[in-house]
Amino acid sequence: MTTTWHADRTVLAAYVEGGLDDVRASSLEAHLLTCDRCRDRVATSTGADAIDHVWGSIVDTIDTPHRSAVERLLLTLRVPEHLARLLVATPSLRLSWLVAEALALGFAVIAANGTSDQNEELVLFLFLVVAALLPVAGVAVAFGPGIDPTYEIGVAAPMPADRLLLIRAAAVLASSVSITVFAALALPGLDAIAAAWLLPALGLTVATLALGTWVRPLVAAASVALTWVLSAAAAAVSTQDRLAAFRPVGQVACLAVIAVSAAVLTHRHTLYEGRIAR
Amino acid sequence: MSAPTVEIHDVRKRFGRTTALQGVAFDAAAGITGLLGPNGAGKTTLLRMMATVLAPDDGRLRVLSWDPQVADERLAIRRRLGYMPQEPGFHRSFTAFEFVDYVAILKEMTERRARHDEVRRVLGLVGLDDVSGRKIKALSGGMRRRVALAQSLLGDPDLLVLDEPTAGLDPEQRLRFRELVSDRTADRTVILSTHQTEDVAALCQRVIVMLDGQVLFEGTPRELTQVADGRVWLADDRAAGARLSWRTADGAHRNIGEAPSDADLVAPTLEDGYLLLVGDRAFAEEAA
Repeated sequence: MTTTWHADRTVLAAYVEGGLDDVRASSLEAHLLTCDRCRDRVATSTGADAIDHVWGSIVDTIDTPHRSAVERLLLTLRVPEHLARLLVATPSLRLSWLVAEALALGFAVIAANGTSDQNEELVLFLFLVVAALLPVAGVAVAFGPGIDPTYEIGVAAPMPADRLLLIRAAAVLASSVSITVFAALALPGLDAIAAAWLLPALGLTVATLALGTWVRPLVAAASVALTWVLSAAAAAVSTQDRLAAFRPVGQVACLAVIAVSAAVLTHRHTLYEGRIAR
Repeated sequence: MSAPTVEIHDVRKRFGRTTALQGVAFDAAAGITGLLGPNGAGKTTLLRMMATVLAPDDGRLRVLSWDPQVADERLAIRRRLGYMPQEPGFHRSFTAFEFVDYVAILKEMTERRARHDEVRRVLGLVGLDDVSGRKIKALSGGMRRRVALAQSLLGDPDLLVLDEPTAGLDPEQRLRFRELVSDRTADRTVILSTHQTEDVAALCQRVIVMLDGQVLFEGTPRELTQVADGRVWLADDRAAGARLSWRTADGAHRNIGEAPSDADLVAPTLEDGYLLLVGDRAFAEEAA
C-alpha cells in the first residue's frame, strides 16, 4: 500500500529521540505501518544503542521465568525485586512453612473455641506461648549451615551474612505476626490479652538473633525457646495466674529483653560473618 | 611466574582429631593451577580457605594480596572471587536462571536489567541458555554442575576457585569446560581441584600434588610427567620391579616403577608421574 504523504524529517528525528508526545507518536506509528519509505528512514536514523536497549528489554521480558506466588506477593507488597528473590529462598518463608504455622495456630483456636470455660485459660496460655515462639522457629531455619542449601556459595559472596540473616528474619517475623493476628482474632471472648504474644514474639526473636552471634541459629533458637517456656510456666505457678507472663509485668520484661538484645545485636552483628569462617 | 595472586605459608587445619592440612605452602599466579590428589588429601579444605569460607588454624594465607582473616580485606577478596564448591547446594525449586540470579544478588548486583543480562551471559558460557527456565530438580547431574560453574563466572572474577569442576561431566562437556576456562586466563587466576590427570595435562600451567594434607609436588605438568622418565616400560607380564602394572588393551603389560636395564621404555604420561608419586596408596583408595 502506498501513501501520498511522508513524515517530516524533523518529526521523524523527534520520534527517534523519543521527543514526540503520545498522540503524535501513535499517529506517526499508524503511518509507519503503511509507509515503507518513512519506515526505512526511521530504521536508518535510529542509533544502535537505542535498538540494543529495546531489544534487551524484549529479551528480558520474554526470558525471565515467571515468579512464584510468594515472590509475586512480596512484589505486590512493594518489596524491592532483588530482596524478594533473596526472601523466596528462605526455608521458613515457603508456602509449606506458612501453611504449617497457620494450621498450628488454627488447631489452637479450634481447641479454645471448643473447650469448657475452666480450660479456656489453659488453651489461651498455650496459644500465647506458641504464638510467641513461631517467629523464633522461623528465624532458626532462615539461614545457616545445613539449613540454606546454598550457604557455602553465599558465604563466599560479598553480601554480609548478618545482612542476609536480618533481612530474612524481618520477613519471617512479619509473616508469622500476620498469621498470628488472624488466628488471635478468632479466639473466643476476644480481649486485649489475645494480643499479649506480640511483645514476647519480638523479644524472643531479637534475643535469638543476639544469641546467634555466639552460637548457631538452631542452638540459639532452642535455648531461647526453652528459657521462654520455663519462664512462662514458672510465672504461672508462682503467681497462681496462668497468664502471668503476659500481664503488664511480663510485657515490661519483654521490652527489657528487646532493648538488651537489640543493643547486643547492634554491637555484635558483624560477628555472624566472622563466626562462619572458622 | 608473575606476581603470586594466592600465597600460602605453612597453613594448618584440624577438624577434631583429624588433621586436614599439616603445613601446606605454595604460591599460585595468573593462569591455571591444578590441585591433584586422592580423596582426603586436603584439596577441598585448602580451596575453601582460598574462597574465604574457612580459616586456617595456623599459618598465613593471602588471596589477591589481601588477608582473608581481616573483615574488610575478606570483603575485597569476595568481590573479585568466583567459587564453585565441591557440593554446591541448590534451592531445588528454583530454575537455573533463578538460582544464578539469586547468587548474582548475593554478589551485589542489584540492578535488574544488568543483572539479568549477566545471568544470561554466564548461562550461555556453560551452554545452558536453552534450559535456563527449567527447574534445577529436573536437570541432570552434569547440567547442575554447569549451573554451579555458571554462578562462579558471574562478574568475570579475577580469581576462580573450582572444586572438582569436571566431576560428573561427560567427555564433550569436559572439553567445553577446558575451552571455557582456558579462554579467560591471560591475567586471571584459576585454581581447580580434580581427580582427572587429563584435565591437568590439558589445562594447567602449574600442578600441585597433595597427599595427607601435605604438598607432595609442585611444578609444571611437564615436570610431573618427568617424574616417570625412564620408569615406564612395556613387558609381556607384570615385571618384578614394577610398583604398578596393568594389562593394556593390546595385551602388553604397562609397568611403572624401577625399570630393568633391558626394559622396553615408553614415554610416560602425567598420570604415570602422578601414580609414581602417590604410589600404591592412590590405587588402594581407588579400589576401596
